[in-house]
Amino acid sequence: MAVIEQPATLSAPARPSVWGKVTAVLALLGRSRVAIAGLILVGFWVVMASFADDCIIRPACWMGDSEAVSTPWLARYSPFEQFRGRNLEGPSADHWLGTDRNGRDLWARIVHGSRIILVLAPISVLIALAIGGTLGLIAGYFGGQIDEVLMRVLDALMAFPQILLYLIIIAALGPSAVNVVLAITIAGAPGIARLVRSLTLDIKTRDYVAAAQTRGESPWYIMFVEILPNARGPIIIDAMLRVGYAVFAIGTLGFLGLGLPPPSPDWGSIVNAGRKFIQAGHPWDALWASLSIASLVVGLNLLADGLSEELGRYR
Amino acid sequence: MTTSPGKMNEPVVRVQNLAIAYETHSGDVNAVRDVSFEIHRGETLGLVGESGCGKSTVAYGLVNYLGRNGKIVHGEIIFQGESLVGRSPEELRKLRGDQIAMVYQDPMTSLNPVLRVGQQMTEVLTVHRGISVDEARTRCVEMLRRVYMPDPEAVMGRYPHQISGGQQQRVVIAMALLNNPALLVMDEPTTALDVTVEAAVLDLVADLRRDFDTAILFISHNLGVVARVSSRVGVMYAGEMVEQAPVREIFAHPRHPYTQGLMRCVPRLGADKAGSVLYPIRGRVPAPDRLPPGCVFEPRCDYATEHCRQERPALRQISNRHMVSCLRAEHIRASEWQPTEDIIPLMPAADAAEPETILNVDGLRTYYKQSSGSPLDLIGLGKKRYVRAVDGVSFTIPQGKTLGVVGESGCGKSTLIKTLIGLEPMTGGAAQFLGFDLEKKASKRDMGLIRELQMVFQNPDATMNPSYSVGTQIERPLRRFKVVPPNQIHAEVVRLLRAVKLDEHYYDRRPRQLSGGEKQRVGIARAFAGRPDLVLCDEPVSALDVSVQAAVLNLLLEIQREQGTTMIFIAHDLSVVRFFSDYVAVMYLGQIVEIGPAEAIYAPPYHPYTESLLAAVPIPDPSVAQQHIRLEGSVPSPLNPPSGCRFHTRCPRRQLLPDGGAICEREVPPMQDAGDGHQIHCHIPLETLHDLEPVVQIAA
Repeated sequence: MAVIEQPATLSAPARPSVWGKVTAVLALLGRSRVAIAGLILVGFWVVMASFADDCIIRPACWMGDSEAVSTPWLARYSPFEQFRGRNLEGPSADHWLGTDRNGRDLWARIVHGSRIILVLAPISVLIALAIGGTLGLIAGYFGGQIDEVLMRVLDALMAFPQILLYLIIIAALGPSAVNVVLAITIAGAPGIARLVRSLTLDIKTRDYVAAAQTRGESPWYIMFVEILPNARGPIIIDAMLRVGYAVFAIGTLGFLGLGLPPPSPDWGSIVNAGRKFIQAGHPWDALWASLSIASLVVGLNLLADGLSEELGRYR
Repeated sequence: MTTSPGKMNEPVVRVQNLAIAYETHSGDVNAVRDVSFEIHRGETLGLVGESGCGKSTVAYGLVNYLGRNGKIVHGEIIFQGESLVGRSPEELRKLRGDQIAMVYQDPMTSLNPVLRVGQQMTEVLTVHRGISVDEARTRCVEMLRRVYMPDPEAVMGRYPHQISGGQQQRVVIAMALLNNPALLVMDEPTTALDVTVEAAVLDLVADLRRDFDTAILFISHNLGVVARVSSRVGVMYAGEMVEQAPVREIFAHPRHPYTQGLMRCVPRLGADKAGSVLYPIRGRVPAPDRLPPGCVFEPRCDYATEHCRQERPALRQISNRHMVSCLRAEHIRASEWQPTEDIIPLMPAADAAEPETILNVDGLRTYYKQSSGSPLDLIGLGKKRYVRAVDGVSFTIPQGKTLGVVGESGCGKSTLIKTLIGLEPMTGGAAQFLGFDLEKKASKRDMGLIRELQMVFQNPDATMNPSYSVGTQIERPLRRFKVVPPNQIHAEVVRLLRAVKLDEHYYDRRPRQLSGGEKQRVGIARAFAGRPDLVLCDEPVSALDVSVQAAVLNLLLEIQREQGTTMIFIAHDLSVVRFFSDYVAVMYLGQIVEIGPAEAIYAPPYHPYTESLLAAVPIPDPSVAQQHIRLEGSVPSPLNPPSGCRFHTRCPRRQLLPDGGAICEREVPPMQDAGDGHQIHCHIPLETLHDLEPVVQIAA
C-alpha cells in the first residue's frame, strides 16, 4: 500500500512542557467517544473522593488524625453520623440515597467509600507494576535460565485462582488496608511480568538497544532507560484495566468480610451489610454500592479501550 | 529489447489524466496527479521513482484497489476499450481475476501458508474458469514448467515455506499467468529477493513478455531493474509523471533534471572506479500536501528559474515517443552537468607510507547452537547442532582504510561484524584490534576498547530510540566516553550535528519527526561521537531512497577522511562498495571466498561466485553488455554446509576442471594468491580464471 507520510513538523517545538504533555493526552482522549465516556465516569468519582469533605485543605486530616472533625462538602454528612430513628429509609430530600440500618446517610458513605477505593486500587497496581515490570524486564532481557526460572515461578503463582490467593493472604495476615494492597499486588504482578517480558523480547532486538550494548551500557541502564520507555503504551493501558480489576477485587474482599474492618465505608462491605435487607424491601444499600463499583470499573475500562484505540490508530 | 508497439492499433490499457487522493484527518491528499500512459500488448512499462512518489498508488488505482480512504478523483482508465472508473466492486473483482493479474513485493505474503502450492494454483482455474480439478492440475504443472520451476510436480505438493523465496515468486507469477491475463501489474516483485535470485526472476519477466504477449506494468525503485526488463520507462516524482521514453532513449538521453539526478546517484558497475562516484540530489521528496506552487521538482533542481517557480509544466512531447514535463528540457544537457561543490565526495587522501594494521582477524568462527528438535533436548541430551554463521574468516585492515564485505543474505556478513563488536559471542579464532583482544562480549569489554569500536546500523527506523530527542541520544556516548568536559557537551553535540549536515534545530527533535536519511545521519553522529578508530557499518544505506543514499555515503567518507577512521562496510551488492572501498571481501556461507584490493575484485581473475554476483547486479544502463551467468538454487543451510568447496553445489564454472570438478566436492579449495594481497579460494588455476571474459563490458 502506498503510505502517505505524515509531514514532519517543521517548526521545531521547544522541549515539551508538562502542561503541553497533559493537553496532548487530553486531546488524544478527546478524539474517542468511548474514552470521553470513561473519563466522565472516572472523573465523577475522582471529584467526589477529593471534595467529599474539607480534608483536602486541612493537612491534619491527611496525617490520619481520627479525632480531627472534618466539615462535609459534597458528602453532606459524615459517613459515621447516625440519625436516630431514621434507619433503613429510602431516598429522600434529606438523605439522597437513603439510610442504612444504623441510620447513617448512604450518600455520605458511598462518597467516602470512593476515597478508599481510589487510593487503594491505584497504589496496589503501581506496586504490582513496579515488581511485575522489573521481573518482566529481567526475564525478557537476560533470557535463558533466568527467564525460565522466573517465569515458571510466576506461572505457578498464576495457576492459583485469584480469589483463592486473596483469601489465603488475607486469612494469613488479617484484614487491613495494607494487606488488601499486598494481596492485590501479589496476585497482579505475574500478569504484568508476562506482558512486560513479551514487550521486552520484541524491543530488545531493535538496533538502538544494540547501539547501547556496543557503548558498553549496563544491563540495568538498557532495561530501564532504553527499553522501558518504549513499552509504556501497552503498559499504561494494561495498568488502567488493572485498576478496574483492583476496584472489583477490593469490592469482593469487602463483600466477603475480608476488606477494611467496619465501620469504614467500604463499598464491598456496604453491599454485604445491605444484602440482608433486600428481601425486606430495602434494596438501597446493596444497589447503590454495586452501582458505584460497576460505574467505576466500566469507566476505567472505557478509558483504557478508548486510549488503546487512539494509540493504535497512529502506530 | 524494444518491440514496436506503435503498429498495434489499440493499447491494452490507457490511463488519461488520472488523479488519486487519500482521505486523511486533514482533508484529501492528492497522491497522484495528472498521470497518463498507455501499454500495448507485449510491452513492459517500467515505473520508477523514489518512495512516496505514487508509483504503487497508480497500480492500485488501475484495479481500483485503493483501500477505504483512497479514491479516483479525476481521469479515465480505459482497459481493452472499456472504462474502468465507476465500475462496481463486483465487476472489478471478476476483472481482476480474469484479465488483470498482480504480483506483489513479498511472495510469502501473497501465498497462503496453510495451503499446498498445488491447491492454491488450481483454485485460480477452478473458480474463475470452472475447469475440472484434474485438468487444472495439468495446466498448473505446465505453467510452473514455463516459469522454469525445477521439478514442478513435486513443488505442487509442497507448502509455500518449503520452497525458496525465488521459487515462491515464480509460483506467484505462474499463478498470475494462469488465466492468461491481458495486463500484468508487478509491484516491486524482486525487492525482497537477493541479487542472484532477482536476476533470475527478471530474466523470467523478460521472457514472459515475449512468450505470452501480455502488457506488463513493472514498478520498481531500482533503475537497474527497470533497465533490464522494460521496453518503455516512466519516471514519477511527487505524484506526477515527469518523463516517459523508450528504455534506451531515456538512459542515453535523460531530459528531465530529476531523471538525470537519479542516474547520477545510483552506482554503475559498467564504468570504471571514477565513474561510480555518486552525486546526491539535494533536499527530499515533498509531502503530497505541501507541494511547491510551480514545478514539483523546482526546489531541488539545479536549473530552476523564476519561470519554473510560477508555472507548473505539463507532460509534453519533445521528440518521437519521448515525453517530459520540464519547461527547460531543450536547454538542459546531462553531459554538461557539473557537480556543485557541496555534493562532491571528498575521497580519503592516499597515503604514501604503508599504514599500520589496525585490525587482525584470524580464523574467526561464530556458531549458533540449535537444538535438533528431538524429545531428548528437553532433558539436555539431544544432539547439538551448530549453525556455522561465520566459519574461519581471516583478514587484516590497515589504519584509515575501508573494507567492503559483500555476499548474499545468509552468508554471515552481519554476524561477522556483530562478533567483532561483541554483540555475539566468538566461538573460535582470534581477533586483535589496537592490541586489544576482541574475545569478550561488549558488556565485559574495557571502556577504552568500547570507545574505539562503534557501529552504524541498517534500519533507520530502529537505529534511534523513539523516546528521546536527537540531542539526548548524541549526548549519551559523549558523557559515557568522557569525550569532552561536561560543560562543553552541548557545544560538541551541535558540532557533531553540523558535521552530519544537520543544523542546530535538530537538537530537540524527536526521531519520528525525521526522515529516514536524517535518522541515519544522527546514527552516524552517535557512532562517531566518541571519535572511534574503527566503525562497522551494517548496510547503512540499503533502506534509504537512492537520492539520499548517495548523500549518506558521501557523508561517511567525509567524516572518515577528517578523523582517519577505519571502516568495515557491509553491502549486499558489489556495485555499492566499489568507489570507496580500498579492499573488498566476498563472503559465501560463512567464509571469505575472495578478498583483495577493490580494483582487483572487479576484473578477472575472479572467484566464480564473485563472477556470478557481478553478473547479477542490475545495471542502470541498457547499453552495457553483461555476461549471462545465473546461480541455481539458493544458499545451502549453514547447519550442514556442503563438503569440500562450499560453493560447489551452485558453481557455474566447475566444468572447467577435469572430471567436472570432482575435486570440489572432496577437498577444501586452496588459497591462491593473485598478487598484491588478492586471494582467491578456488580449485580452478589462476591462469584459467584470468582468461575468463570480464562480466561487464561497456559497448563501444
